[in-house]
Amino acid sequence: MSQSPLTLHSWPRAILHVDADAFFASCEQALHPELRGKPVITGQERGIVAAASYEAKQRGVQRGMRLHEVRRVCPDAVILPNDYETYSLFSLRLFDLLRRFTPQVEEYSIDEAFADLTGMRRVLRGSYGEIAQRIQQTIAQELGISVSIGVSLSKVLAKIASRWKKPQGVTAIPGREIHHYLAHLPVEKVWGIGPNTAALLAKQGVATALEFARCQEAFIRQHYPKPILDLWYELNGESVLPVLTDPKTQYQSITKGRTFTPPRAEADYLFAQLVQNLEDACLKARRYHLAARRLVVLLRTQDFQERGIELRLTRASAYPSELLEVLRTGFATLYQPRNLYRATGVVLTYLVPQRNVQFNLFEDAVRVEQMARVYQAMDHLAERYGRHTVHLGASLLARRQAQHAGERGTPVPRQQDLVQGETRTQHLGLPRMEIAV
Amino acid sequence: MNPCLCFAQERTFQEKVGVLLRGSIAAGFPSPAEEVLSDCLTLDELLISNRVATFFVRVTGDSMVEAGILPGDLVIVDRSLAPRHGDVVIAEVDGAWTMKIYHQQNGLITLVAANPHYAPIRPKESLRIAGVVTGVVRKYR
Repeated sequence: MSQSPLTLHSWPRAILHVDADAFFASCEQALHPELRGKPVITGQERGIVAAASYEAKQRGVQRGMRLHEVRRVCPDAVILPNDYETYSLFSLRLFDLLRRFTPQVEEYSIDEAFADLTGMRRVLRGSYGEIAQRIQQTIAQELGISVSIGVSLSKVLAKIASRWKKPQGVTAIPGREIHHYLAHLPVEKVWGIGPNTAALLAKQGVATALEFARCQEAFIRQHYPKPILDLWYELNGESVLPVLTDPKTQYQSITKGRTFTPPRAEADYLFAQLVQNLEDACLKARRYHLAARRLVVLLRTQDFQERGIELRLTRASAYPSELLEVLRTGFATLYQPRNLYRATGVVLTYLVPQRNVQFNLFEDAVRVEQMARVYQAMDHLAERYGRHTVHLGASLLARRQAQHAGERGTPVPRQQDLVQGETRTQHLGLPRMEIAV
Repeated sequence: MNPCLCFAQERTFQEKVGVLLRGSIAAGFPSPAEEVLSDCLTLDELLISNRVATFFVRVTGDSMVEAGILPGDLVIVDRSLAPRHGDVVIAEVDGAWTMKIYHQQNGLITLVAANPHYAPIRPKESLRIAGVVTGVVRKYR
């Protein structure tokens, strides 16, 4: 294999990838400073590890591990429930902090972002590596969390760079050095190349990312679909995947589901959970002015078997009170009395803009109009007092009980000791440091 | 701080903005009262300058009562500010967290309470300033 670089351009473009290190655990350590340097795990209410701090990782704890195994491998691990509200706050702040450096920021996931730094060296007064370093330091100072950053000529390369050194790494890969980083990288570790593509490539003698990048373009074009060709360009230092800055306004489907402990078999409890899921999903749909034409009902048993049913609606809707009977029908079909269930879920799909909804011939348009006004009032109340201030009686059973009983139900600190004026569902939009001063 | 241009709007946080509704445009001179009100500062804007770096802490101790910070108050903390002599800071001193007044004289740093029952603290092994207290919030009703 020749040692020549893949491209002679240093920095035709500069794309940054920020990847938080053990994000949930990092947030907890930021707000509970006494946990810094300790093995911290989140995910208690689910019974499995959602995130493990690097100290925990060093002791052999892995994401997805069951908690009893964690206790065996790392007895002094601090196990915390997931505090999604706080993690969301940190996530939004991470993105806003990046926007200080460039307006082109893509919110890729809760703990990852891309940013386009092309042309910013003069404005930000430094090389791309130095800018990345400064971003990492600013995040550590202002948010208190640890991130790893990669910067290179394309998104795919930036992702490889951020993973190169973790935690707290900063890796810049200019054009002339790309081949060094790809030489020993298995091709299935490239973002966008899955096991099937990797298997096919292996049959054609391509095992590493570098071998893939050195293939002839015509060869890739002939044997692989366009998305794979895009990856080939990206690995060769040509950016074809843009940094997507637009916030998500389109949704193909909205899924809301919840797990509960212990698993239950009673029909009315399970149905109440489903109604809660439905209310959550419809609330989100209304927020984006969407209505669903189809409803999917899901039940998951104790041993992780999942069954679902898709129901077609005569008219698109985002109102739980209208969809209640449809939900009931779906549930009746799926429910098996002797099973223990651990989770329920609802998917609103075939979404259309609310204003495009047409009434069918047999409907009472006046009644539907009245329902729209009822929900408008409910949404208004929700804005003022917190979501689901007013909800269907059918979800009462689920809302009244704790979602997780026993040890798994350790309350999240942010929901305890509320500030005067805060309610169970409405909190100040600032993270709270849990220190005694 | 970064010498950088400030581009973008923080679009994420729900800010209750004071919006002045202008009535119909009449001919003649505008009302002076109307002109003055057009730059409203909300409480959020007053209390929070760098949103990304702002946290809050509930006060439980009484070491700062003479500075008017009482148990039960919320203090607004900005992690991006460098402490100046006289600032109230949140600090980790020799492993313990505390809220005190930052004194810096002749390069020597002392953390001083606002309560005669608490002695000044001179860090021995370590001192980390987590942030500067920029405001105190106390809600009565």
